[in-house]
Amino acid sequence: MYKFFDREKLKYCYQCGRCSSGCDINRLDISFQPHRLLHLISMGAIDKVLKSDTIWKCTTCFTCSERCPQGIKVTEILWTARAMAVKSNYIPELLITQKDILLRTGRLIPMDNKKREKSGLTAIQEEPSVVDRIFEIAEKEK
Amino acid sequence: MRYAFYLGCATPVKALKYEISTRNLAKILGIELVDIPEFGCCGFPVKSMDSFAALLMAARNLAIAEEKGMDIIGVCTGCMAILSEAREYLEDEKLRGKVNGKLKAIGVKEYTGRVKIKHFARFLYEDYRLDRIRDKIVTPLASLEFGIHYGCHYMKPTHAHGHFDDPSRPFTLDDIISVTGARPINYPNKNLCCGLTIMGTAEDLSFRLAAEKLECLSNKGVDAMVVACPSCCIAYENNQRLAGKRAGKEFNLPVLYFTQVIGLAMGLSEKELGFELNRIKVDRLAEKLIP
Repeated sequence: MYKFFDREKLKYCYQCGRCSSGCDINRLDISFQPHRLLHLISMGAIDKVLKSDTIWKCTTCFTCSERCPQGIKVTEILWTARAMAVKSNYIPELLITQKDILLRTGRLIPMDNKKREKSGLTAIQEEPSVVDRIFEIAEKEK
Repeated sequence: MRYAFYLGCATPVKALKYEISTRNLAKILGIELVDIPEFGCCGFPVKSMDSFAALLMAARNLAIAEEKGMDIIGVCTGCMAILSEAREYLEDEKLRGKVNGKLKAIGVKEYTGRVKIKHFARFLYEDYRLDRIRDKIVTPLASLEFGIHYGCHYMKPTHAHGHFDDPSRPFTLDDIISVTGARPINYPNKNLCCGLTIMGTAEDLSFRLAAEKLECLSNKGVDAMVVACPSCCIAYENNQRLAGKRAGKEFNLPVLYFTQVIGLAMGLSEKELGFELNRIKVDRLAEKLIP
C-alpha cells in the first residue's frame, strides 16, 4: 500500500506545519492537521490515523503538497491512508454506495440516456464488467 | 487536429451544458473530438478504495488512447489530474511493466508512455493558441465581468500537469476569457477549493467552502462565475441554494462554463451552448449584451 509514496521521504518532514497553515479545511476545522497526520504515520501510529474520520475531510486540493518545503507529497499520503483505512475496514458509508454503483454501472454516476437524448446528445452504454475485473485483479496484489 | 475525447462520469450526466458547449465550440474551432466508447472510469473515486485498482483504471484509459494513436482531451479537472498522475507514475519502467501485465489480463494492449493528457482549456491555451481564438470572436463581451474559478485539479499536482499554470497565481483561464473581451476580476479567495470531493464525508465543511467563494463573488458584483470542471459547477450552481441556506445567505450568482463564454463571443446560439440548462438564470447577462 505504500507503493504510491516514498515512505523514506516522510523522514524529511521537520514538522514546520506549512501544510496545515495553508489548508482551508484546517482553517475551518482545527481538528484537521495534515502535519500531525504525517507525524503519526512516521511514528508508526498509522492505526490512529486510519481510525480517525479526519482523513475523510481532505478535499485532495493538493495545496499542502505544493507548499511542502521538503517536497513531500502530503495529499498523496493522506489519499493512500484512505485506501488503507478501507482495507482495514474503516469505511465511510459513502464509499460503500460508490463502490456499489461502480460495480453495477462501471461509472461513478449512473448514465441517464433519456436526459441525454432530450438534449440532443447520443446515448452512452454502461460497461460494468471492466471495473469488476480490475478490483478483482488489484485484490490479488495484496 | 484529432483527439480522444475523455468525457468522464460527471459531465455526460450532470453537466450536459458543458458537454454540448464543448462539442459545438470544438466544431467551430476545427478540433475533432473523437468519442471513445471503450473509455471507463478514470480511477478518481477508486483512489480512496484501492490505490492499485485506481492506477489500473487510469492506465487502461491511457492504453486505449495510445492504441488508437490519439492524445487525450478532457473537460473534467479531476479526470485530467488522475490520468496525468498515472502517466507520471507509469514513467517508472518497473511499475509500467507490472501494470501492463494486468492490462493484458483485461484484454488491453500495453501502454508504452506516449499519450499526452490535456484539459480542453489547457489545450486551447497551449496548442490551439489564443490569437486563433481572437480571430473568431464576433461578439466581444466587453460589458461583462467574471470571477474565474479554476478548480484545484486543473493545475495541481503541478508536477503531473507539467507545471503549465501557477497554482498560487493561475492565469491560463484568465487569459482565455480575456480574449473574449470580458474582464476576469481578481478576488481574495480565488484559489479556494469548491469542496465537492468531501460532500459525502464532511458535508458541512463542503458547503462552507462553497459558500465562502459564492459570498465573495456576490459581493464583488460579478456577472457570473466561470468554471472548468463539472464538480465545481455542482458545488457552486446545483448546490448554490443549499450552500447559501447553511450560511444564512441567499445567493443568485450565475455559473458558466468557460466553453459557454467563448462560444457566446463566437456567436454560437443559446441552444448550441446549452444555456437553457443553466440553473441560475443568465437573463441579466443577455440584457447586458444586447446593445
